[in-house]
Amino acid sequence: MNIRVIISGRHYDQLGHVPGELSLEEGASVDEALGVIQAALPEGNRLPPSCLVAVSGQHLGTLASHQERTLTEGDELVVIAPVAGG
Amino acid sequence: MRVSELSAEELGRYARQIGPGVLSREGQLRLRNSTALVTRVGGMGGPAALALVMAGVGRVIVAHGGELISPDLNRQVLGSEAGLGKPRMPAFAEYLRTMNRFVEVEAIDHEPDDEEARALARRCDIILSCPPSFTERLRLNRAAVAAGIPLVDAAQWGMSGTLVVVQPGRTACLECLYPEEPDFEEMFPVVGAISSAIGALAALEAIKILARTGTPLFGKLWMIDGFQGRSTIVDVARNEHCPCCAKAC
Repeated sequence: MNIRVIISGRHYDQLGHVPGELSLEEGASVDEALGVIQAALPEGNRLPPSCLVAVSGQHLGTLASHQERTLTEGDELVVIAPVAGG
Repeated sequence: MRVSELSAEELGRYARQIGPGVLSREGQLRLRNSTALVTRVGGMGGPAALALVMAGVGRVIVAHGGELISPDLNRQVLGSEAGLGKPRMPAFAEYLRTMNRFVEVEAIDHEPDDEEARALARRCDIILSCPPSFTERLRLNRAAVAAGIPLVDAAQWGMSGTLVVVQPGRTACLECLYPEEPDFEEMFPVVGAISSAIGALAALEAIKILARTGTPLFGKLWMIDGFQGRSTIVDVARNEHCPCCAKAC
């Protein structure tokens, strides 16, 4: 199955290696998808644990602590690194 | 001071924003009788405060300490070359006052601490949170939740920004979203165009909420990524164990 990936927020400039779409096994979990994304980052780059994680508009928590969920075809996985800045 | 109707001069000033699809006359009167706190008034808070003043929010309280420095002028629209090296607030507040004689602008020349934030929240109908650190954002969030007033949090990085709109007791608060305070990057990169865009949208949310028009983005996070040309909205889930808002509801 294919899902869309949207990564944004702080240091989006370092995330260009992450594909906008992932091909995963049927029934793959959010954690499995996040693992693929982390593996696609340049060496030494990690998504911050405080990143927001959402699937198809529904907030699941942070990268460090989120509800588990099984992904389905066409889901949109959103990962947003928190931004502040005034 | 509360008024029961708008003067003819005020109706003339707001003629372009009273009508179908914008504000009702009652909505404009609600703005006139409202108080908004904007802290800080730099890249996002400055345009937000300006939009609130121009829209006719009756009292706009602005808080920001420190002196204006050259790198501020890529985004802080209330500043000017003449203000470099001088305290921001007197000049920022004076500029806001020149934009609408029907509005009171109250200036605070520092960042409120916990106690002052709570006291200010009790005098306000809404808070626009536009500071650079999560410490200040979470402080303003706690103050809004304690006072039971809405909070619009505006944040930015690079060419992107987020809005989070909180309705205490009904939606997730900022601490539901950030249970652990994220790291703070003091010298974050930013382009002023996104600052103004996010600040203006924060003001628009506040205007809708205060005037009771449109559909406020309560309980949502809106990410606007100008770099990648994307806009994403997420329904933020409440944390039933949130130390800030769970006991307030």
